[in-house]
Parts: sequence; C-alpha cells; structure tokens
Amino acid sequence: MIPTLLFVAFLALMLLGVPIGAALGLAGAVAIALANADAQWFGLLAVPQNFYAGLGKYPLLAIPMFVLVGSIFDRSGVALRLVNFAVAIVGRGPGMLPLVAIVVAMFLGGISGSGPANAAAVGAVMIAAMSRAGYPPAYSASVVGAAAATDILIPPSVAFIVYSVLVPGASVPALFAAGMIPGVLAGLALILPTVWLARKHSMGALEASLPRPPFWRSLRDATWGLFAPVLILGGMRAGWFTPTEAAVVAVFYGLFVGMVVHRTIRVRDLFVILRESGELSAVILLVVSLAGIFAFSLSTLGVIDPVTDAIVNSGLGEYGVLALLILLLITVGMFLDGVSIFLIFVPLLWPIVQHYNWDPVWFGVILTLKVALGQFTPPLAVNLMVSCRIAGVRMEETVRWVGWMLVSMFMVMVAVIVWPQLALWLPHTLGY
Amino acid sequence: MSTPSELPPDPAQADEATRIPLKIEDWLTVIVMALLALITFANVLVRYLTNQSFAWTEEFSIFLMIVLALVAGSASVARNRQIRIEYFADSGPPARRRALARFGALMVFLLFALMAVLSSRIVWDQYRYEETSPGIGVPMWWYTIWLPVMSVAIAGRALGLYVRRGRQP
Repeated sequence: MIPTLLFVAFLALMLLGVPIGAALGLAGAVAIALANADAQWFGLLAVPQNFYAGLGKYPLLAIPMFVLVGSIFDRSGVALRLVNFAVAIVGRGPGMLPLVAIVVAMFLGGISGSGPANAAAVGAVMIAAMSRAGYPPAYSASVVGAAAATDILIPPSVAFIVYSVLVPGASVPALFAAGMIPGVLAGLALILPTVWLARKHSMGALEASLPRPPFWRSLRDATWGLFAPVLILGGMRAGWFTPTEAAVVAVFYGLFVGMVVHRTIRVRDLFVILRESGELSAVILLVVSLAGIFAFSLSTLGVIDPVTDAIVNSGLGEYGVLALLILLLITVGMFLDGVSIFLIFVPLLWPIVQHYNWDPVWFGVILTLKVALGQFTPPLAVNLMVSCRIAGVRMEETVRWVGWMLVSMFMVMVAVIVWPQLALWLPHTLGY
Repeated sequence: MSTPSELPPDPAQADEATRIPLKIEDWLTVIVMALLALITFANVLVRYLTNQSFAWTEEFSIFLMIVLALVAGSASVARNRQIRIEYFADSGPPARRRALARFGALMVFLLFALMAVLSSRIVWDQYRYEETSPGIGVPMWWYTIWLPVMSVAIAGRALGLYVRRGRQP
C-alpha cells in the first residue's frame, strides 16, 4: 500500500511539473512518515539526515568544478581555434563543416563534463559558420546537439561522477576510461549519417568557395586548446590529480588561456561565469541530495526486492530483461534528464544488475549511452534546446535530421551490449 | 517560420524583480565557487611543493559544496530553473500553466519548510550533546546550522515565486 502510494504520488507530482527534486523529497518524506506512524516525529528526522548525507560526499565536488570548466572553456575562444585547425586539416567540401563540428565537440568532450555546455561552445562557433556555408539552421542545430551528446561519454563526465557515487563497485577513473572507446565510436557513428545527409540533400554548396585556413598558423593558435585534454586526462592517468583536482587545474588553465592568451574573458566576466556555473551545479546537487531521501524511503520500505524478484522470475531471460530496461529508459528519457534518471533508476535497478552479475562499469556505460541518446531525443532534449536556441529554430524542425543520428548512435549502444569489451578493455588494460 | 515566443527560454534573460534582491545569493554563490576552486588548487600546489596536504580541506570543501547547493539553489528556485518535466506544465491554456507553476512553487515551499523544522531539531540535538566533526573537531552545529537557515531562505524564495506567478496576467 505505502510503496504504491510513494510511486503514485511521485509520478503525479512530476507530471504536474513540480521540480524533480521536490517531488523526490516530498514523496520520500510522506512514505517515511506513513511507515513510521508510531515513531517519534514519524521518523521524519531521517529526512534532513539523508539530505545532508546524500550531499556530503567528496567525489561530488568534481561536479561544480567540471561545470565551471565547461563554462570557462565555453568563453575561452578555444572552440573557434580548434574549428579553424580542423578545417585546415580536412579542407573545404560538402559535408566537411558538420564533420568538423562533431570532431570538435568530441575534443571539447575531453575538457568539459556536460553536454549542454559543450553544445553552447560548439554551437556558438559552428552554427553561424554552417549557415554561411549554406546548411539549413535546423540541420546545423541537430548536428551540434547530437555531437555534444558524446561529451558525457568522453571523459571527464558529470554523468559518470553521479553514477560512481551511487554505485560502490565503479570508480570514477574506471568509468572515465570505460567511456572513452564507446564515446569515440558514438562520434564516428554520428559522422556517417551527417555527411551522408549533407551530400544527399546537397547542402553546404557554398562551402567549397570559402577560404581554407593556413595549416601551421591554425595549429599554433589551437595548441592551447589541444593541450587541455592532455593535461586533464593525462594528469589523472599519471596519478597527479584526483578527478576533482584535475577539474580545478583545468579551471585555472582555462582562465589563463581565456584571460591572458586569447583575451576573450575579462575580469568582470568572472562574476557571470562563477554565478552561472554555481547555479547550474546547485540545481544538479539539490536533485542528488533530495534523491537521497527517496532512495532511503525505498530501502526502508523494502520495495525493491519484490519488484526485482518479479522481474527476474518473469521468464524473459537476461537479454530480455536488458531489452525491457532499455525500452523503459528510452521512454523515461524522453521526459527526464540524465542525472535524474540515474538518481531514480540506479537504486531500483541495482539488485537486477547484481542478480545477473553484470559488470557495474559496463552497466554504467550502457546507461550513460542511453542518457546521451536522450540528450538529443525530442521533445525533452537538453542539448537540442541549447543548439536550437542558438540557431533560432524550433525543436520540431530538427526531427527529420536527428532521427538518423539517433539510429546510428543507438547501434553503438547495441554494439557495447553485444561486445562488453568495447567498454571494459581500456579500464582493464589501464589497471583500474 | 518560428516566432521568438516559441523558442526555448534563454537563460540569460533578465530576472523578474524580487522583493529581496537576488544579488545576496548571487554574491554568496560567486564567493563560495571561487573559494572551492582556490582551496582545491592550493591543496594541489602545496602537496607538490611540500609533499604534505591539508587534511582539513576535504571536510571544509564538502561543507562549502553543501552551502553552494543551498545558496545557489535558493537563487535557482527564485528564477524557477529547477529540473522539472515541462511537457505538460508548460503547454495548454495560460490559466492552467499558471496554476501548475503555482502548485510547483507551493510544493517546493512545503518541502523546505518541513526541512527547516526537522533540521532545526537535529541542529539542536547536536548543540545539546556537543557533537564534534570527525575531521577537524569543531562543533558539528557550526556546519549544520546552515541547513535550517538556508531552508527558510529557499522556502521564502518559493513563496515569492508563488506570489509572483499569482500576479501574472
């Protein structure tokens, strides 16, 4: 009775547009109170305790810092120089600019940790450039939104940090390493339909007439940006920094590049950068901490085990259950953002993962791939929201382009399910 | 073609006027973010220069992060930027949209008002029994007192949003 009430209340609140965090916290509090009707204060003192405990974890500190890195590199002028360098390499031709957009988004994925920040950085440079070359704005917005989704797979990644806090057996370095190959594959998988669509609809006809930047000068300009992922990922790999420290080092490196080298960030911009990234982090952190209350109420009520038993004994088999889970998550992902999906579903799915002995790191990569797909699946697609705003188009207009990219990236997810070593080989080789 | 009103809202848009200026939260957010970055960076530098690390920084950084979540969270409530499902709430006739926006604000108010009451009780217990923090050994209530204080602030911001949504035409 109480578990049903918990879920019904939670679903109703969410669908009515109540903030996810508030819905999680309230549903959790009501369930705790009903289950402990005889206890002192209805056992509700667990509410602030779990709020505090859900937040007081050192690895979570990497989230505000990587959000800050994204916000700084967004304004540092690095994206523009990387684009010029990439154009200098691949040259001008139909379909080349969208290809450059994807490659640069993947590269920035090695610096920033969140998809929307990446979409903003790449979109600001590429969407105007692509429309000058004759690509329709809706197509450009689709390419940028989809390409930025590789960001949460390519380390560093806020999604992996949240997952590792929820799951004891998956460390941040192992998840970061595991995301590398699937992330690159996802990027490559996006290039195929993108270039094919550009050729088929003969878009970007003007591109060939645009000047090609000189190779050596653009390489020199791009050096500062090219070095950033080396510093972040290399520093973590070499054991110089923890993920949080790597983020902070990247913050100061980005500030140096933006304020001293490229001179695109002024002192007064610091206020806006710190305020915006602080607020965005707080929005994520509040959901994380309020989800702690919900997870606590789930575990005290003992809801999870009966549901797990029912699913495990349903006769679907291991892959049947996995297929069902992905179908469920895709549906949910059309309405919910990635971090909320992790916070709500990982505690629920965890016993199933243990029952089938799935590798927690591999499962994390699958979930993150699914979330990456959700980031550019309309109607609720955070990356597309950002890129559509820059391009000045409505999200409905992107549907005819984005579908192909979704199918292509979905195939990467299927590949990682079929061959788990795509995700697990690198962390094993690196010894995590 | 699309009209501007159909586009997703721009986060850089001007803030609605609030009775208590949002500058308070904004300045605190900026200070806490800067402190977090500086403390962690200083820790890295000190460790490489002297092979020592400040043990107290971890506990203090976690505390700062909790303050950040609450302070910047308060601003995000006032600006109505919480993560939520907009699909049903932001469509339909204006009257329904307004009613749902007010309902959402009311639920946030309810949660944080509850949080303020309950966490005050916890802080009182920690004060009474003189609990100290595991890392540095300072009284626990120095840290936790901010939970009820900021919960009241967040509840107030939610109430403000409720009132402003009620006034909207």
